[in-house]
Amino acid sequence: MTSGTLAGTTLLVRHSWRRDRVLASLWGLALVAVAYASAAATSSLYPTVRDQVAAAEAINASPAIVALYGPILDVTSLGELAMTKMTVLYSVFVAALFVVLLRRHTRVEEESGRAELLGGTAIGRDAPLASAVVESSAIAVAIGLPTAAVNVAGGLPLAGSLAFGAGWIGIGLVAIGIGAVASQVSASARTCGAAAAGAIGAAYLLRAVGDTSVHWLSWATPFGWSTQLRAYSDPRWWVLALYAVLAVALLTGAQALRSRRDLGSGLVAARPGPADAAPGLTDALALALRVHTPTIAVWSAATAVLGAVLGAIVPNVGDLLDSEAAREVVARLGGDGAVERALIAAELSIVAIAVSCFGIAVIAHGGADEQAGRTELVLATGTSRARSFGATLLVALTGATWLLAVSGAAVALGYGIVGGDVGDTFGEILPAALAQAPAAWVVVALAALAFSVRASWTVAGWGAVALFVTLGQVGELLGLPAVVLGLSPYTHTPSMPVEAFAVVPEMVLTAIAAALLGVSWMRYRTRDLG
Amino acid sequence: MSAAVIDVQGLVKEFGAFRALDGLDLSVAPGEVHGFLGPNGAGKSTTIRALLGLLRIDGGTASVFGLDPWRDTVAIHRRLAYVPGDVALWPNLTGGETIDLLTRMRGTKPDPARRGALLELFALDPTKKGRAYSKGNRQKVALVAAFSADTDLLILDEPTSGLDPLMEQVFNDCVADHTARGATVLLSSHILSEVERLAERVTIIRDGRAVETGSLAELRHLRRTRIRAEVSAAVPDLGGLDGVHDLGVEGRWISCSVDPDALEKVLTALTGAGVVSLTSTPPTLEELFLDAYRTDPERTP
Repeated sequence: MTSGTLAGTTLLVRHSWRRDRVLASLWGLALVAVAYASAAATSSLYPTVRDQVAAAEAINASPAIVALYGPILDVTSLGELAMTKMTVLYSVFVAALFVVLLRRHTRVEEESGRAELLGGTAIGRDAPLASAVVESSAIAVAIGLPTAAVNVAGGLPLAGSLAFGAGWIGIGLVAIGIGAVASQVSASARTCGAAAAGAIGAAYLLRAVGDTSVHWLSWATPFGWSTQLRAYSDPRWWVLALYAVLAVALLTGAQALRSRRDLGSGLVAARPGPADAAPGLTDALALALRVHTPTIAVWSAATAVLGAVLGAIVPNVGDLLDSEAAREVVARLGGDGAVERALIAAELSIVAIAVSCFGIAVIAHGGADEQAGRTELVLATGTSRARSFGATLLVALTGATWLLAVSGAAVALGYGIVGGDVGDTFGEILPAALAQAPAAWVVVALAALAFSVRASWTVAGWGAVALFVTLGQVGELLGLPAVVLGLSPYTHTPSMPVEAFAVVPEMVLTAIAAALLGVSWMRYRTRDLG
Repeated sequence: MSAAVIDVQGLVKEFGAFRALDGLDLSVAPGEVHGFLGPNGAGKSTTIRALLGLLRIDGGTASVFGLDPWRDTVAIHRRLAYVPGDVALWPNLTGGETIDLLTRMRGTKPDPARRGALLELFALDPTKKGRAYSKGNRQKVALVAAFSADTDLLILDEPTSGLDPLMEQVFNDCVADHTARGATVLLSSHILSEVERLAERVTIIRDGRAVETGSLAELRHLRRTRIRAEVSAAVPDLGGLDGVHDLGVEGRWISCSVDPDALEKVLTALTGAGVVSLTSTPPTLEELFLDAYRTDPERTP
């Protein structure tokens, strides 16, 4: 490969790996470790087949769990039970890694101008995209195969583990395709990232709807295939081909789009904007709002759709409970109403994590502004540090709270319309959604603290979310002490509407968030900027 | 002369073990254009960022308008306009929006007529989004924002590094307009011709320390003159004279650099040898510059 449009691909693959080695290694290691922990812990938790079947039936009887993780197709399969969370939810985390990598090596490079620097060397026009695909595909394999190996080591059957690992590789390839297509859409790396995240989110949501009510929808999304692969009962090997076909189709599409546009441009030509600023664009807060308004709009729309769909599936969960065992479990939980409330509470806990991500993204943007020199431009005017920092925090915190309200209202609306009872649901679900806010504030405040130490440290905010989610997912499985599990603020908010509102934890979380913000400000006001 | 607009004494700034500013002195008088010269990494931008209160200083004193840049940041900023060396814009804001925003944030009301005139002078399209501008055009956005209000002080950090020669002329005219109404300008640059054209006084900085400061005339007075002469009689031996450097003899042609206080003796010697032609060139700033940069053990305390 020394000439033509692919010239330099191998060189770029090496360069990409040089940049990804820490991120991809940590991410991959975490995934493999969690898979091993799940595989190894399950057989000791449920020593007899009877225990396993009972646990599996309890999962299938809980629409909240099925909506989050997908059903267990064969209740006698130890592997399916052990991989409950790995099969779908962790596939999303696998997919997220590859979307991040693809965007990083294609659109971000173009936006920063580094791609142009490379374009002036003996690097072929198609090499950047090709190398990103090659490198991240290799990483997908490097995560999938060890996953299969540790599952075997954890006591699961070989054939099933291979199928499972291959399923993760398949999801990885599809995500690479999604990332590649999304990176062609817009000249803005942020918009491209949002498009990719939206596609992943929609695919996950479709599966949740499919698994709980409209069953054929599960076949319309790659996350549904993860369950339908039936890795550990009677593997449908041909499902792996679905991933491959979809990935090839997406990559072909991405290449076609790439060849039709210029370096640095999006599919839609850049339109001129206003020559004058709106009269209100006068201070740091107005600037932050102006910069983040498109993001807030997209997030609002996305959480509204997500909430409405999640709300709409709630009244239909009864269909799921047609087995004897399921009805037994439901009765123990306190009847149909209790099951619906549990599903809503589970949905809202996911929403809380999602809106925290919005807040972190705003803080991270503040860090990027400082690193790029835009903050310097603002602070050289009559704008004080307090106003600039405060504007970022305000948009992050109120934005996250607003999104919780939007999703709560949307869940209530979806639930009310399908259940035929709009009105009452708002009073119950909207407060339940807002009760999650203090946990989100704490996480956003942690990101702000990292930002106040150093602009490039905002990435620690993402680390905090990842840690709390992982603790919530596998902490109990690993038998971690309650103190460690309690590190996650999400465990302290009352799980409304199942539980009643609790003042003390909410006040404590709010106080912690306020204290963190106070410390952040003390640090930010005295540190060097830029 | 009234109190200095910018007064920096013994300024020290350390980044970890690296001493970026090492006892810098800088004084800018009201109404002057002060050239701030130095190679990349000398500490020019660090000084400016300390003057803007973006960096905390580790030693020495700094004041702007007699105020403390760290404590009275906002009060100082309302009276100045700053153009960074590498202008970064918001990707989804247009140039026009950015200009209005920066103007308002400084506490002044945008003047549409003046802004329009500047946009025309700089040939800048204000409807493009930030990400679509080239380096030069990003710089123009910051320059238009700076020039569109009557501030007391302009701090310009390598402001023309992305501009073409035509735009440099426009830039010079704008600076002249602002000094004509009494504004003070701190112009950091490594482009010597730019400073030579605009500045009355310069400070040359190297390794975080001012190595020369003074008016261009003073600095020239202190420095050597380059002489090239043809003589009719025997070539005099100038090598023995103090203050004569870089001596070269080619047939009847002599060339050398002469310290100001040795000039008289050299000229006497040349006249005695029957000088036929003589050119003398004052040192350009370029030579002052190189001279100041040359690692000179005598000057390094």
